[in-house]
Amino acid sequence: MISPPASEKTEIAGDARKVSVAQVLVYELRVRDAMSKPPITAAPTESLRSIQHLMKEHRFSGVPITENGTLLGLISIEDIINALDHGHINDPAAAHMTRGLVTLRDHYSLLRAVAEFDRHGFGRFPVLNTSDRLVGMITRGDITTCLMQHLEKRAEEALAHEARLRATHTADEAAQRVVIRAPVRTGDYDSAGKISQRMRQLLRDRAIDPEIRRRAAVVAYEAETNIIIHSLGGEVSVTIDPDQVVIEAVDVGPGIDNIEQAMQEGWSTAGRLPRELGFGAGMGLPNMRRCSDRFEVVSDSDHGTRVRSEIHLRKAGAPST
Amino acid sequence: MRTQNPIKLRPLLATLRAEVLTDHVPEEITGGYCSDLLSDVLAHAEPGVLWLTVQVHRNVVSVAAMKDVAAVLLTCGRKPDSASLAEADEAGIALLTTPLSTYEAAGKLWEAGL
Repeated sequence: MISPPASEKTEIAGDARKVSVAQVLVYELRVRDAMSKPPITAAPTESLRSIQHLMKEHRFSGVPITENGTLLGLISIEDIINALDHGHINDPAAAHMTRGLVTLRDHYSLLRAVAEFDRHGFGRFPVLNTSDRLVGMITRGDITTCLMQHLEKRAEEALAHEARLRATHTADEAAQRVVIRAPVRTGDYDSAGKISQRMRQLLRDRAIDPEIRRRAAVVAYEAETNIIIHSLGGEVSVTIDPDQVVIEAVDVGPGIDNIEQAMQEGWSTAGRLPRELGFGAGMGLPNMRRCSDRFEVVSDSDHGTRVRSEIHLRKAGAPST
Repeated sequence: MRTQNPIKLRPLLATLRAEVLTDHVPEEITGGYCSDLLSDVLAHAEPGVLWLTVQVHRNVVSVAAMKDVAAVLLTCGRKPDSASLAEADEAGIALLTTPLSTYEAAGKLWEAGL
């Protein structure tokens, strides 16, 4: 015989332990949570007629008769009907009330209360506290209403909890740093824009202002094409933080002879092929600087060129600072 | 260049003798921009414009996407390769072609009120 795998066993055990929310509530909730309180009571000297009015007014089917907070008996709707039938509606309650009542304690669980309803078949129970004082009345309807209210509350709490989790998740995501890093090859014109496209998507996911997204895209695209056109190969990295994106282009050479000249619009050292493709307008570095909040070029013939651009991020619709 | 009021693109297609090459075409354009230099477009094109160019390689689509250009009108009867076309469809950038030169096409657009 093959024994089931451990994970399956755990699952079965988990299933057996699964208890519905309603079941838990029936254990957790007490009679005092569901009962109507304070109880509407009548004195033993009160007439059945006035108790009938009391029932009508409060839509009760039973009124407990008390004296100084001690339960003496109960007048039910049947007692009133009998009194009308037999013409003793003006008699005092004490003469016709049901005595020796079965009562529930306010600390009983609702599960026990339901069992008592089933056992006795009564429509209502008076509820006593541990000092034997009448503190409320309970019906099956009270129990149902109480359970429904608590189920609803639990459901709302669960939804709120879920929403909070989602919000935290989103916040985590936004707080997360994302880094895109990719090699860029010389002359690989067909791959130009791959990194900036990915970055654009990430910035869009973060609901960054479209104008800022476009600026970042221009910088990333120019960074990529600069390496493709001018360098011996390099790498572009994009680091997205909640408040800024940093685009860095590093190549292995040959380096820029005169950065000041390279920063002038229209100055280009691009060859014929890139120019035919529409590159080499001599606007790459100036474009990048214009679109950046902070911009830096370091270059020498030994180590190649490192371009760093910083762009401050702002959500769409957020006020500019 | 960007006009104050967006203008419907479809009615202009006949005037431009333009053919739509991509699956979709934008409803409106907010202006036009003529350039064959990608960096120049990156620097100066406004979002939502119609970009007129003779360049047809896939970087045109990339640049158009970067700048949220509405559509690209390839002039002088230029046609993109299938890679550019597929990329344009994916990026939601409309590609159009016209036998007119950039100068003629821009003139027609200007006359039409763009």
